[in-house]
Amino acid sequence: MSKPSFVYVTYIETTPEKVWNALTDPEMTKDYWVRHRNRSDWKPGSAWRHEDYEDAAKLDIVGTVVASDPPRRLVLTWAFPGEASDPNKVSRVTFDIDMFKGAVRLTVTHDELEPDSGMLRGITAGWPLVLSSLKTMLETGAAMPMTRQRWTDEN
Amino acid sequence: MDASKANPSFVYVTYIATTPEKLWQALTDNAFIRQYWSGTVIESDWTAGAPMRFVHDGVLHNTGEVLACEPGRRLSYSWHVEFHEVFSREKPSRVTFEIEPMGAEVKLTITHDAFEPGSKVLEAVRDGWPSILASLKSLLETGRALALTSPEAMEGAKKEAIARAERNAAPSA
Repeated sequence: MSKPSFVYVTYIETTPEKVWNALTDPEMTKDYWVRHRNRSDWKPGSAWRHEDYEDAAKLDIVGTVVASDPPRRLVLTWAFPGEASDPNKVSRVTFDIDMFKGAVRLTVTHDELEPDSGMLRGITAGWPLVLSSLKTMLETGAAMPMTRQRWTDEN
Repeated sequence: MDASKANPSFVYVTYIATTPEKLWQALTDNAFIRQYWSGTVIESDWTAGAPMRFVHDGVLHNTGEVLACEPGRRLSYSWHVEFHEVFSREKPSRVTFEIEPMGAEVKLTITHDAFEPGSKVLEAVRDGWPSILASLKSLLETGRALALTSPEAMEGAKKEAIARAERNAAPSA
C-alpha cells in the first residue's frame, strides 16, 4: 500500500533564486548533474525532460511539471522514458526551497516510488551526489569534478 | 538502507571536496567540531572503549563510548542524550561515520541506528544531522561553517527539539 520515499535535506549558503536557477538552467545542471540538462518551460502541466547535455536524443528521465512556484517549490513527475505510461512506475519529486537561519534549506522529497525497483536504488545513490555537488557549486563557484562528466552507472 | 519499521535508522550520505585525513580531523578535533556543531566540544581520547562527553557552554549534552576508531576510515560511538528527560530516558543509540575516497572527493556516510521503537532521539537527529553535515561540508570546502550552526543557534535548536519531542509524546490518536 504505502510506496517508498526518499528525503534529503541540505543547507546552502546562497539565495532561493540561485537554487531555483540551478535546478532549471541547463548551463548549471550540466556541471553538478553529471552532464545533463533539464528542459522545460517550467509551467504547471508542461512536460519536462532530463537529457544528455551533448545529445538531446538521449533521454534519461521524463515527466510533467505538477507545480511550479519560483523560487520556492517545484513538483515534477519522474519516470524512465520507457516506463512513463505505466502509472505504477511514475514517481514524484518535490523541491522545497526556503530560508532557515541564514541559509537556504533545500528539501528534496522523492516519493511514490516502486518498492525494490532499480529507480529506488538509483535515486538513493544519485540524489546525495547531485545535491552535494549543487551545494559545492553554489558555495565555491565550481561543482565537484565527478559530477561534471557523464557517469557510467555503477550504483 | 531503507527504514524498516522494525529497525528504524537514519542514513545520510554527503560528498565533500577534501581528503579522508582532513575529514577525520574535522570529526575528531574540537577546533573544527565547535565550528560546525554549534560550539559543541567532544571530550575523549578517541580510542576504542574510551568514554565521550559532548559539552556545550559547560553543559553536558551527550555521553557515549567510542565503539570503533580507524583513522581516515571509520568512526563509531554510542549516543546517549543527557540534556532533557524526554531523551535521556531512552537507551543509547549508535552513530557510525564511514569515509571512502571517491575520485577527487570523499564520500561520507552517517548511519545513526540502534534506536528504541518510537524513539524521540531519532526524530531529533533526523533534523540535526543534515544541518551539522551541511555545515561540516561548507567548513571543509570554503573555510567557513554555516551561521545556522553558530554557538548562539544551539539554545533555539535544543528548545525546538524538546518541544517537538514532548508534543509527539502526547497520547497518540
